[in-house]
Amino acid sequence: MPESAAKRRGVSLDVYAVALALVLALLVRLNVIPSVRW
Amino acid sequence: MATAANTAPPIGLDEPLRLGRSVLALIPGLLLLAAVGYAGKFIEQSIAVYTRSHHITFPNIEYVLWAIVIGLVISNTVGVPRVFQAGVATYEFWLKAGIVLLGSRFLLGDILHLGGISLLLVAVALALSLTFMHILGRSFKLKPKLTSLLAVGSSICGVSAIIAAKPAIDADDEDASYAIAAILALGAISLFTFPLIGHSLHLSDKAYGLWAGLAVDNTAEATAAGALYSDAAGKVAVLAKTTRNALIGFIVLGYAIYWASRGQAQAVGNKAKFLWGKFPKFVLGFLLISLLATLGYFTKTQLTSLANLSRWAFLLTFAGVGLRTSFRELGKQGWRPFAVGAIGEIFIAILTLGLVYGADSFLHL
Repeated sequence: MPESAAKRRGVSLDVYAVALALVLALLVRLNVIPSVRW
Repeated sequence: MATAANTAPPIGLDEPLRLGRSVLALIPGLLLLAAVGYAGKFIEQSIAVYTRSHHITFPNIEYVLWAIVIGLVISNTVGVPRVFQAGVATYEFWLKAGIVLLGSRFLLGDILHLGGISLLLVAVALALSLTFMHILGRSFKLKPKLTSLLAVGSSICGVSAIIAAKPAIDADDEDASYAIAAILALGAISLFTFPLIGHSLHLSDKAYGLWAGLAVDNTAEATAAGALYSDAAGKVAVLAKTTRNALIGFIVLGYAIYWASRGQAQAVGNKAKFLWGKFPKFVLGFLLISLLATLGYFTKTQLTSLANLSRWAFLLTFAGVGLRTSFRELGKQGWRPFAVGAIGEIFIAILTLGLVYGADSFLHL
């Protein structure tokens, strides 16, 4: 999300990035996301 | 004539529409980031397969470099069309998400050990580089606030630090754009020079990663400069850079108090609130994931998945680094801020290299 849009809602870009990463980690932990390859 | 009351959309109805539209606006740029990043990965793998099958000895050129170069070629030839720009601008978002996920590759003990060393080196480097930048700014007759912005940008964390410091010290837009342009130009140069210097000095992965994390300004460029050397160096570079980022609030607060005491900026009211506002929250996410990994919350396969998700996020970041760097735009900003930034960067690079050598000998990286 662009920073300006995030800032208008009073939340920094960092918070969205952290939220996305934590959700992904949880989905991996619950095996909802199958093993991710590189 | 329509009044504000009857033209304003009903509260609640417009929000999902606007949000939907702004998410849609990101898609072309996101696809471009993915295409450029994946093209870099494809080139790396194709060269590796070709050279292996033909028994040719050829150094492995990481996808990082290819993605950045492809991005640079696009942005400096045809340019990035407007429709892609919003999506391309999300590269910092992917960088931060990638750093949080990278926490899974660190045990908390490693973070305390390397992070502690980084913090010590950052403190020494900060004190010396801030002093040096101010002496330099004065001798080049730069405006004092522009010098402050350049000092913050080159000592702490590049563009984010400048953006954080600008309102706190009431600096001009023009000063901020000069400082940002100088820092971006120098970041692009360091991407190509740091790995070459590191290899010629035969630095270990840890020593090089620490050096890149301490000396390269922008988090995206520091991550890329580390990853260009090796995967292990990239990991250490992110940790060192994150330590540096964590100090942003303290330095900006120091400058805000200094300029307020001279009557040229607003006084800072609640200092704790100010520090929290400037603190990069992704550092907390990084520590949380690392803590969970240390406590055995994830299996080995899950840890590999998280590390790979982090790599995919960085792939989008590196594509963005190239795509947003326009040499023509950077060239418009005048030579003096660039010269001060460049001399300062060389000083910081030599200083931090000396510190890393010292730390390697005495603190055993």
